[in-house]
Amino acid sequence: MQDESLAAVSDVEVDKQDLDASIAQFAGWNAAYYQGVFHKIHAATSPIPLTFNWVAGLLGPIWAAGRGVWGFFWTFIILETIAWVQIGRGAWGNLGAEDLAKAERQRERASSFAEKADAARAAGEDPGRLETLAGNMTRAAEQSQAAADEANAAAIGILSIGLAIMLALKLVQAVYANIAYEAQYSRWRIDRNVPFGWNGKGLVLGSLLFAAIVPLTVYKFTVTSVPEVLEAFPADKALYASAADWLEGVFDAAAAGGAGMFDGITAGIRWILEALTVALIGAGHRVAIFTAASLAYVAFLGYWEISMETVALVGAAAFLCVLFGIPLGIWFGKSPRAYRVAEPVLDFMQTMPAFVYLIPIIAFFGTGNPPGVLATIVFGMPPVVRLTALGMRGVPDTIKEAASAFGASRWQLLRDVEVPLALPSIMTGVNQTILMCLSMVVIISLIGGGGLGKVILEALQYAAKGPGLLGGFAILFCAMVIDRIVQGGFRRKDQK
Amino acid sequence: MREIVVNIEDVWKIFGPETEVERALEAVKTQGLGKAGVLQEFGCVVGVAGASFSVARGEIFCIMGLSGSGKSTLVRHVNRLIEPTAGRIEILGRDVGRMSAKDLREVRAKQIGMVFQHMALMPHRSVRDNVGYPLEIRGEPKSRRWAVSEHALSLVELRGFEDRLPKELSGGMQQRVGIARALASDPEILLMDEPFSALDPLIRRQLQNQFKALVDRLQKTTLFITHDLDEAIRLGNRIAIMKDGAIVQIGTPEEIVTRPADDYVREFVQDISKLKLVKAHSVMGPLDEAEGDLSAAPRAAGDSDLDRLIDLSVGSALPIVITDAQGQDIGLVSKARLLRGIQGGKD
Repeated sequence: MQDESLAAVSDVEVDKQDLDASIAQFAGWNAAYYQGVFHKIHAATSPIPLTFNWVAGLLGPIWAAGRGVWGFFWTFIILETIAWVQIGRGAWGNLGAEDLAKAERQRERASSFAEKADAARAAGEDPGRLETLAGNMTRAAEQSQAAADEANAAAIGILSIGLAIMLALKLVQAVYANIAYEAQYSRWRIDRNVPFGWNGKGLVLGSLLFAAIVPLTVYKFTVTSVPEVLEAFPADKALYASAADWLEGVFDAAAAGGAGMFDGITAGIRWILEALTVALIGAGHRVAIFTAASLAYVAFLGYWEISMETVALVGAAAFLCVLFGIPLGIWFGKSPRAYRVAEPVLDFMQTMPAFVYLIPIIAFFGTGNPPGVLATIVFGMPPVVRLTALGMRGVPDTIKEAASAFGASRWQLLRDVEVPLALPSIMTGVNQTILMCLSMVVIISLIGGGGLGKVILEALQYAAKGPGLLGGFAILFCAMVIDRIVQGGFRRKDQK
Repeated sequence: MREIVVNIEDVWKIFGPETEVERALEAVKTQGLGKAGVLQEFGCVVGVAGASFSVARGEIFCIMGLSGSGKSTLVRHVNRLIEPTAGRIEILGRDVGRMSAKDLREVRAKQIGMVFQHMALMPHRSVRDNVGYPLEIRGEPKSRRWAVSEHALSLVELRGFEDRLPKELSGGMQQRVGIARALASDPEILLMDEPFSALDPLIRRQLQNQFKALVDRLQKTTLFITHDLDEAIRLGNRIAIMKDGAIVQIGTPEEIVTRPADDYVREFVQDISKLKLVKAHSVMGPLDEAEGDLSAAPRAAGDSDLDRLIDLSVGSALPIVITDAQGQDIGLVSKARLLRGIQGGKD
C-alpha cells in the first residue's frame, strides 16, 4: 500500500482534473459551465445548493428534454401547463361567456313574455300573469349579466395568479435544474445507460411534446366552444359500429357453434395476452410502440374522451391510495402490533363485496364520481399497504444495523436504507393498486361513476356483447399503459 | 502505559422479558446460576456474563469464541447497538451508557468504525457512496465525501472501483469496501465482527495481512472478533477467549498457547502451530543441564522463536545456549526440550 495514504484524512482532496474530465464527458456541450456548478453543488452543505441555470429556467422542460432529464421534463411540463391554462383563462378565456349567454337567453324570453302580455292586452285578456313572468325573467337576466361581469372582472385576478405561478415555476426550475442534472451525473457514473450530453433527438421529441401538450390543453380549457373537428377526432363512428357488429356476429356464431368455439376464443385471447406480455418484457421503445398502439385502439374506436375520464378517475383514486398507503405500509412494517390491528381491516377491505359498502357510500356521499373514487380507494388501497409493509420487513437487519452503527438517525435510516431497499416491493404494490382501481371502474358506474365502466354497464344491460368486449379491451389497455409507464419510471440498475 | 481507549467493566447482558431480567441477573450473581438454569427458571438467555477488559491505543484486541459464546453481543456494547443489563462501558474516558441519543450518534459517526461479517453494504449505492455514507450522515458536502472515499479506497487498494455497485465486486473486494467504509470517518476505534469468516482461505489470509499492516500503520485501536484461533494469533496483540458469555482467559498469543487457563482453552490451543509463538525462554532449562564445553554451541536470544531454534539445532550437535540482552548465558535448550516445546509443553 502506498505511503501517500498516511496523509491526514482531513487534507485529502478529490482529483479535480479527473472529475472535470468526467463532467466534461457527461455534459458535452457547455461543459465548463457544468464543471463550475457541479463543483459548487459538491461543496455545498445545505440541502438545496443555490445555483441558477437561467437557460433551464427559461426553456424549462425543453432544456430537460435536450439534456435527457425526463423526470424533470414530465414534472415541469405538467406544472407549466397548469400555469399556462390559468394565464389563458385570464387573458382570453372569456370567463363570463356562459353567464352572458344565459343572460341573453333570459332577456329574449323576457321580451317574448312582454310581447305575449301586449298581445293578451290587445286581445282584452288579463296580462298580469305574463307581465309577472316577464318581470321575473328580466331580473334573472340582470343577475346573470352581473355574474358575467363579475367573472370577467375576476379574469384579471386569474391572469395574475397564472403569471405568478409561471414566474415561480421558472425560478424553481432555474434553481432545481442543476441539482437534478448533478443527480443524473451521479447516476451516470454508476450506470452508463443513463442519458448524457446534449441530445438533439431528445430536444426534438421534447419540443414536439411541449408543442402538442401545452397549446392543446390551454385551448381545450379556455375556448368555450370546441370546434367540431377536435371534439369528433379521433373517433370514427362507422369503424366503431362495424367492429361492434362484427363482434356481435362472431359471438352469435360462437354461441351457435358450441363450446369448442368458446374454448378456441379463450385460448386465442390468452395467446394474444401472453404474446403482448412477452413483447412488453423488453424495455424502452417496445413499451412506446405498445403505448401508441393501445392509444390508437382507444382513440379510433371512439373511446378517447371516455377513456380519459376513466384514467382521471383511476388516477385520482390510485394517487390517493399511494399517498396514504405507503406511509401506512411503512408504519405497519415497523410496528408488528399496528399491523396485527390493521390486518383484519385490510382483509375486510379486500374481500367484502363492493356492493356492500356502495350502499352506505351512497347514503353518505350521494352518487357520481367522487363517491366512486371513494369506493375505489377502499378496494384499491390494501395491496400497496401490504406490499410496502412486506418490503419494509424484508430489509436485511444487517444493513440496518450497519447504518445505525455509523450513526444514522431513524429518519436517515428510513430515507437511505429502508425505503430504497423496499422500493421494488413498494412498486409492485403500486402496480397492484392501479390494476385493482381499474377493475373497480365497472362497479363504480353502478353508483353513477362515468368512464369506460358506464360503457360496459350499458352493454351489460342490453346484452350487447360486442361493445362490452371493446370497452373491456379499452380498460385493459388503459391499465397496461399506465402500469408500464409507472414501472418504467422506477427501473434502476441494481434491480436489472 | 499507553492510553486506554476502550474500557469495559463487569458488563452483563441478559436477554429476556423485562420483568425477569433483573431477577435473573441477581440470581446469576449471587447464586452462581448457570446458563441452562437461567433459561429454565427465568426464560432468559445470558448473552454476556461479567466481561471486563481494556484496550490500549493502537492495540489489536481479539475476542475469540465459538458461535453463541457472546462475542458479537459483547462488541456491540461498545457502540451501544445493544444496551447492557449491567456494567459500564467507556470510550476515551466517556461513559457510553450515559450519552444522549445525539451524542451517541456523534460518537458512532466520528470515533467508531465497524465492519460486519456479511459486509452489509447498501446494494443500491455505488462503492463510493457506500464508503462515504458515514460522512453523509454527518452532513459533510459531496466533494469531501468523494475525496475521503477515494482516499479510503486507496488504503484498501480498490481505486478504480468507485462507480461500481457492490454486487459487481467479489466477496473479498466487498469486504475491503466494508473496511474502507469503516476507515472513512477516520475513527479511533475499529470494531471488526468476524470480517473475514465468510471468505475463502486464500483471500482470508491475504486480507488478514493487509489489514494487520494497515492497522499497525494507522494505529487504530481494534476489537477483532473471530472464531478462528489462528486468525486471532496472527492478528492480535492480545486475545480474550470467551465461553458462554464469560471471558475465560485474556493474554498475549504466547501466553494463551503456552499457559492455557483451563481445558476449554487447551482444546483450542492443541492444534495450533507453536513454531512462531513459543519463545526460547519458555522452553529453556538451567545451564548445568548439559556437561562439557559449550563455547562452540550455537547461541540465541531469549525471544527467539522455536522456528529459529530448529534452524540452529539442525546445524549443530550441541544444545543451544540462550543469552540475555547483555550476551550473558542464561540457559540451555536441549534437543529434548526443543522437541517437547514443538509438541506444546508436554513434560
